[in-house]
Amino acid sequence: MTERIETRVVGARLPFVDGVEKVTGATQYVADLRLPGMLTGMALRSPHPHARILQVDTSRAERLTGVHAVLSRKNTPPNRFGINHKDETAFCREKVRYIGDEVAAVAAVDEETAREALALIQVEYELLPAVTDPFLALAGGVPPVHEDIQGNIASQFHVVRGEVDAAFDAADACFEDEFHTHLAHQAYIEPTGCAATWCPGDEITVWGCLQSVFVIRTFMLSPVMGLAPDKFRVIQTKPGGAFGGKLDVKAALIAAMLSRAAQRPVRFLLSLREDLISMRPRMPVHISLQSAFRKDGKLLGKRVRIVAENGAYSSLSPAIMSSVALRTDNLYRTPAVDIEAKLVYTNICPTGQMRGFGNVQATFAWESHLDNAAAGLGIDPLDLRLRNYVEKGDVTLHGWKIASCGVSDAARYAAGAIGWAEKRKRGGRGRGVGLASTIHVSGNKGFAVELGPDDTEPSSADVRIKEDGKIEVWTGESDLGQGSASVMAYIAAEELALPVEDFEVPPTDTGCMPFGFGAFASRITLIGGNAVKIAAGEARKALLRAAGEVLETSPEELVVEGREIAVKGFPSRRTSVTEVVRAAGGLIQGRGTWLAGGEVLDKKKYGNPSTTYSFATHAAEVEVDLETGIVTVLRVTAGHDPGRVINCLGAEGQVEGGAVQAMSYCLMEGLFPEEGRIRGANFHDYLIATSLDVPPVEYQFFETIDPHGPYGAKGLAETAINPTAAAIANAVFHATGARIHTLPLTPERVLEAIEAARAKRQ
Amino acid sequence: MSRYEVAFRVNGEERRDSVRGEDTLLRTLRELGHVDVKTSCEAGDCGACAVLLDGEAVNACLVLTAQADGCEIVTVRGIGTEGNLHPIQRQIVEKGGVQCGFCTPGIVVAAKALLDRNPAPSLEDIRRGLAGNLCRCTGYQKLFEAIVAAALEMRG
Repeated sequence: MTERIETRVVGARLPFVDGVEKVTGATQYVADLRLPGMLTGMALRSPHPHARILQVDTSRAERLTGVHAVLSRKNTPPNRFGINHKDETAFCREKVRYIGDEVAAVAAVDEETAREALALIQVEYELLPAVTDPFLALAGGVPPVHEDIQGNIASQFHVVRGEVDAAFDAADACFEDEFHTHLAHQAYIEPTGCAATWCPGDEITVWGCLQSVFVIRTFMLSPVMGLAPDKFRVIQTKPGGAFGGKLDVKAALIAAMLSRAAQRPVRFLLSLREDLISMRPRMPVHISLQSAFRKDGKLLGKRVRIVAENGAYSSLSPAIMSSVALRTDNLYRTPAVDIEAKLVYTNICPTGQMRGFGNVQATFAWESHLDNAAAGLGIDPLDLRLRNYVEKGDVTLHGWKIASCGVSDAARYAAGAIGWAEKRKRGGRGRGVGLASTIHVSGNKGFAVELGPDDTEPSSADVRIKEDGKIEVWTGESDLGQGSASVMAYIAAEELALPVEDFEVPPTDTGCMPFGFGAFASRITLIGGNAVKIAAGEARKALLRAAGEVLETSPEELVVEGREIAVKGFPSRRTSVTEVVRAAGGLIQGRGTWLAGGEVLDKKKYGNPSTTYSFATHAAEVEVDLETGIVTVLRVTAGHDPGRVINCLGAEGQVEGGAVQAMSYCLMEGLFPEEGRIRGANFHDYLIATSLDVPPVEYQFFETIDPHGPYGAKGLAETAINPTAAAIANAVFHATGARIHTLPLTPERVLEAIEAARAKRQ
Repeated sequence: MSRYEVAFRVNGEERRDSVRGEDTLLRTLRELGHVDVKTSCEAGDCGACAVLLDGEAVNACLVLTAQADGCEIVTVRGIGTEGNLHPIQRQIVEKGGVQCGFCTPGIVVAAKALLDRNPAPSLEDIRRGLAGNLCRCTGYQKLFEAIVAAALEMRG
């Protein structure tokens, strides 16, 4: 194990640096922004899942008093954008492809005028059959969602490693299952929005609740508007939750285009309904699994078939499907796999990334299947896992290098805390326990190529000690509320040995801050944290150099005490930090850049995509009402290997919140399009867990002190959500003998599965 | 369009406005600059816009401004500000019950209403007291802890 460094601030139980401003309502979210002369932007969305646009007449809207801009295909460029495939335009051109697709947008003096203007836009459609079933979309004989894409396939691959047929031939037992996951929205409480202001010379400033201010310029704003990326200054407003959904934010583009057309500031805010029907909810996948085991529980091989629902546009779905396909093979020593995956265009909203990035779906399927295998093999599910987990030093069959690994400890803890040994003996009769494990990346080189300057996945930071003694940490990595700003402040405070309350971490801003990819792939603590650590170390050196000049001694002779710097052994020879900064010209700063480890995968998807990997195991205890099928989660226990905890309250909050989000996904929530139409796009139909629904969550962190992470830290946000749905489904299986293959576990499905299990036993 | 003259107090300050019949208190308060009252569902489901109306927690999106005429309104900033945190706010910060912060103003208001009528709530009371406020980040656990601690602190 890498050595654990003793710390003063890192890992301490400290409040979030922005806690007070948030709890007093002082934080400015994008909807709170007021710019002089600001107009209201609003979009006209397609009411049809699939139709040809015969005509768009905006003339009456343009003539309406108070309307400053009307945009549609008539006056906007056909330039395409997209992270994985360029298949989307700012406004629909020949066709609309889902209910909610943007056909036009207006900017007007107020909400009422904007709404009236939208009503004056006349669009003539020729309806086309909607392709909403991914299997039918593949079967052929249906119209293509995109004319230039054959067979409605957005992406496909076939990965074969090891001797799969031989593995199945040699197996003592083989198992087979099919799982289906549903469309689920990030359901952050703050609806998405952006504001923009245009200045002469085509300088455009965009504000918004964004997970990455840098990448939105590169893949969306710049290519669509035909302006160089540095024509855009993108400033983050603190997001009111994001969970993956605010990475790919088209509102930024529409606000910027409206502002340019109106030559006025424009605010473009989605209503909750628009957000629920048109953003990028978690991709539904259909996974068929076959596994081969030796009778002692050794996993020999897997065959995996995946059909994933892309929706109308690709966004990040091809990368998400890769994650679904490969992820769980790196958690257990897997000698051979045969994976075939297809991503299918349909006429539903574009699907995308929600916390877990495909791993939630993959983990639900594989970890459910693993418990079926355990039952078939007559091996305890915990033992079966312990016999197959990867270990530190392993290189997995896909090429992942496991630099630190605490999954066995995490699993033993989660099981022990739920009362595993005792409760597993008493299954059935509606009460049961189950568990599931997960592995997750801390950054992903795959994105570096799609989104970044090159394949180094860099992160940079500036630590700035100002004249007033306050220290600003400028990082290109965005806080979404998960507490990464506090992570950065604690790391910088640790390195500089100055009081933590003097540190500020402003929201990201491409206009002045150094580059960072932003918040996704659980990358910030490791990659951004390393950059801040280097920057703070440089700032410390600069501070001591400057203090040495003031105190007329060498920097090595100095020590930082509180907000002062003193000469070792001569405590009366001292000066204050503010004095030193003033003497140095008003600012002392350090810059740090860290390049992520790992590599870009080769064409066969082989390689080590992340610097290191995090692990967790969650266990759940459930009660199933055998009459009604209602599942109640009584308790969740969670063992986690985040390398090392930097922000203690933040880490705990990630685990508590992640487990609850997963429970909500597993039991309660979902968007269920019928013929492409999402009914009940509001919070009384889209049910997320309330204070009445949540179980207590207990946890323990196993700090493996990763060799690459700052102080040994790795990512945590996504390991916190990945395993819980599977743990609950496995607990339901233990409680009832019924295996449910389709999410969410609605009472109807649970009753049906109990009935099926009963019929099978008889 | 007919307009109504309304007068009410917000966080102790007299406010007057001329509003349309359909204007919600949420819209009016935000237009008056009280952007600490948050907009999300606009249908009474999420509690982000909760304010105290004559001491009762209400969703401002479900109250017409005209109905608030003559009322005493308290938003989160009327409960406590940066230099003068209410125990509920301080405990939410200290216990880690705030992440993105968007639901927090409404949660503070709901918790205040709860502790005003029930100074020693059980965990079940707290769960019920927050049932109208959606939080997607925290899983509520640290909010429960914070409200328990605040109640203790307030009882002295």
